[in-house]
Amino acid sequence: MTASKTLTLAAAATVVAGGLLSFGAFAADHPIKIGFAIAESGWMHNYDGPPFKAAVMKIEQINKAGGLLGRQIEYEVIDTKTERERSATAGAELVQSGVDLLVVSCDYDFGAPAALAGNQAKIISISQCAADPKMGVQGVGPYAFTANSAAQAEGIAIAEWAIKKLNLKAAYVLEDTTIEYNKSACAGFRAGWEAAGGTIVGEDSFKNDDPSIAAQITRLKNSAETPDNIFICSFTPGGASAIRQLRGAGIDLPILGNTAMVDNYWLNSVPGLKDFYLAAFMSLYGDDPRPQMNTFVEDHRARWSEAPVSSYSVLGYSLIEQWAHAVKKAESTDGEKVLGVMNGFSDEAFLVGPTSYSSDLHIQTNRPWLIMKVENDSFKAVEMYRNELTPDMNLLFRIGK
Amino acid sequence: MLHVLQVILDAIALGSLYALVALAIGLVFGVMKLINFAQGDYITLGAYSLVVPSASITPPLLFGALPVPAMIFSVVITCVILALATERIAFRPLRNSSPATLLVASFAVSYFIQHVTMLVQTGRPKSVGIGSQLANAVEIAGLRMPGVQILTMGVTLALLIGLVLFLKKTPLGVQMRAAAENFEMARLLGIRADKVIALAFVISGGLAAAVSMLLVVQTGTLDLRMGLMPVVIAFFATVIGGIGSLSGAALGGFLVGFVSVLLQTYLPADLRPSRDAFVFGLVILTLLVRPQGLIVTSAAKERV
Repeated sequence: MTASKTLTLAAAATVVAGGLLSFGAFAADHPIKIGFAIAESGWMHNYDGPPFKAAVMKIEQINKAGGLLGRQIEYEVIDTKTERERSATAGAELVQSGVDLLVVSCDYDFGAPAALAGNQAKIISISQCAADPKMGVQGVGPYAFTANSAAQAEGIAIAEWAIKKLNLKAAYVLEDTTIEYNKSACAGFRAGWEAAGGTIVGEDSFKNDDPSIAAQITRLKNSAETPDNIFICSFTPGGASAIRQLRGAGIDLPILGNTAMVDNYWLNSVPGLKDFYLAAFMSLYGDDPRPQMNTFVEDHRARWSEAPVSSYSVLGYSLIEQWAHAVKKAESTDGEKVLGVMNGFSDEAFLVGPTSYSSDLHIQTNRPWLIMKVENDSFKAVEMYRNELTPDMNLLFRIGK
Repeated sequence: MLHVLQVILDAIALGSLYALVALAIGLVFGVMKLINFAQGDYITLGAYSLVVPSASITPPLLFGALPVPAMIFSVVITCVILALATERIAFRPLRNSSPATLLVASFAVSYFIQHVTMLVQTGRPKSVGIGSQLANAVEIAGLRMPGVQILTMGVTLALLIGLVLFLKKTPLGVQMRAAAENFEMARLLGIRADKVIALAFVISGGLAAAVSMLLVVQTGTLDLRMGLMPVVIAFFATVIGGIGSLSGAALGGFLVGFVSVLLQTYLPADLRPSRDAFVFGLVILTLLVRPQGLIVTSAAKERV
């Protein structure tokens, strides 16, 4: 909030200075406003916080370089406190205060209420990292976007890569049914795996807060057909706990995971973990094959005195980058004009990777992934991989089988 | 055959864990008619005491860095102090209130502890690599036994025997049973309420510490909600077992854990995600058949 106030003051000072020079310049000089209806407290804060910091960094970079359309950008944050109702009021309040862009929480359930307010006022809203395609035209409205890729694409990418590069053929799918995100990632994996010629030899489910997955391990060990790998769609802490128990039970098969299991913070749970692979956005550990990602980490360290806590932060940076690019092209912050430009993005180059939108899809379905593996208690970049199978609407919305 | 034995072993291990939690809930309920939902937060805080309290997602170890006996001692002390503090500050002033008021108070205490923990530790799950050797399984005659499963069963058995001996053989234990049976009468006969209730909380803190360490060894993770599910299950367990009966609570906890592993194993794949619905369905069924619970105490009989 303090940062926002300082910025407002700075922007006001610019406006006053501009006004002194030429009164007519006022309209062009008044600042562009971005509203953040995100969680600054409650558990969601841990997912909203890192992309927000990176977004602020991008805003400051734009301002330093002379602003957007010659105007400075200011921002305001309203804390949703990880509550859906507050998300709605925060969104409405920000819309009333006249924001040009509304940034909402990292999750469909918590971001959509705010985004609805934006959509009604024909203001672009972008979720920092919802991986659910509903965070878009179908679930909110034509003005809603998400900076993330669809969870299905995570599953497809790691499935295709593992078949091609690790020569795996027989997968055992372990699905954490606690949240929809996992189910989407697993659905993507199944589709990608079978399309690439693999077979699924067994499946089981668990809940993120199950203290033990002993029963699932027993079933896996007694599987009629022996798998050559396990795909787990989950998130921490349950995902980490499941992998610990699998390895503890002496199951040394390669484990494939979904993107939520990225970053080193949970690796203490499974000391000496090997043969774990997933599709990630970027590496926080200086070995990303794209030099600009390593620069991003350094810039973040310079701005916030620490490297990004989560690799999801790059999505926050890039959503500002995408919107600013569209505003520049549209030469206006008008929602409808910006929407027109954004809907026309086709492999537009941004830090996070090539980005495409269309009038009916506001989420990425085949942005290239950084395949990462765990080695010596750290995630290591392996190579970039772009999924070949693009999930269709039925798979994205999990309609039918 | 081997498969069946393995399933039974898995089921006993989980049942033992739930029995420990249910025992603590049952004990406090016995002397105070309080269903203490904050028990889950004693577990959570006990686990978090292994690391230095900070916002860091990879915090250095605190009690977790100590040699094992000192670590166990420190975690137990942490949980006992927390349990006693909640009793003294929140529950003692409400001692003469209705069970419903007490229940609401325990929710308040639970939320309070959760949010303070979130403030200090942040809501992001953390990981700890304590006891990883214990998480590894040994194969005995084709049966897979993770060290932590054996440990859980051993600890439960030891604590259960210890508690029974304490309740039956020591003067304090007898006082406690008397208080659980008829609190007013026990007081009239000269048993000090404060002492007995405090003792129940000390034991429940100790049990929470045991559960927290077993959970950490099993999962390798710390999470704000890690104590929640075991306590919800333990609550149902005490109801099935016969509310107010300690052996009933332990039996109930054991059964719920046992049945949930059996369901996970034998339900068809499509129904497995709804496993908990079946578990709680069975809870309801048990209560319809035996509303007083599996083991009925004389105290409970009088109320009916």
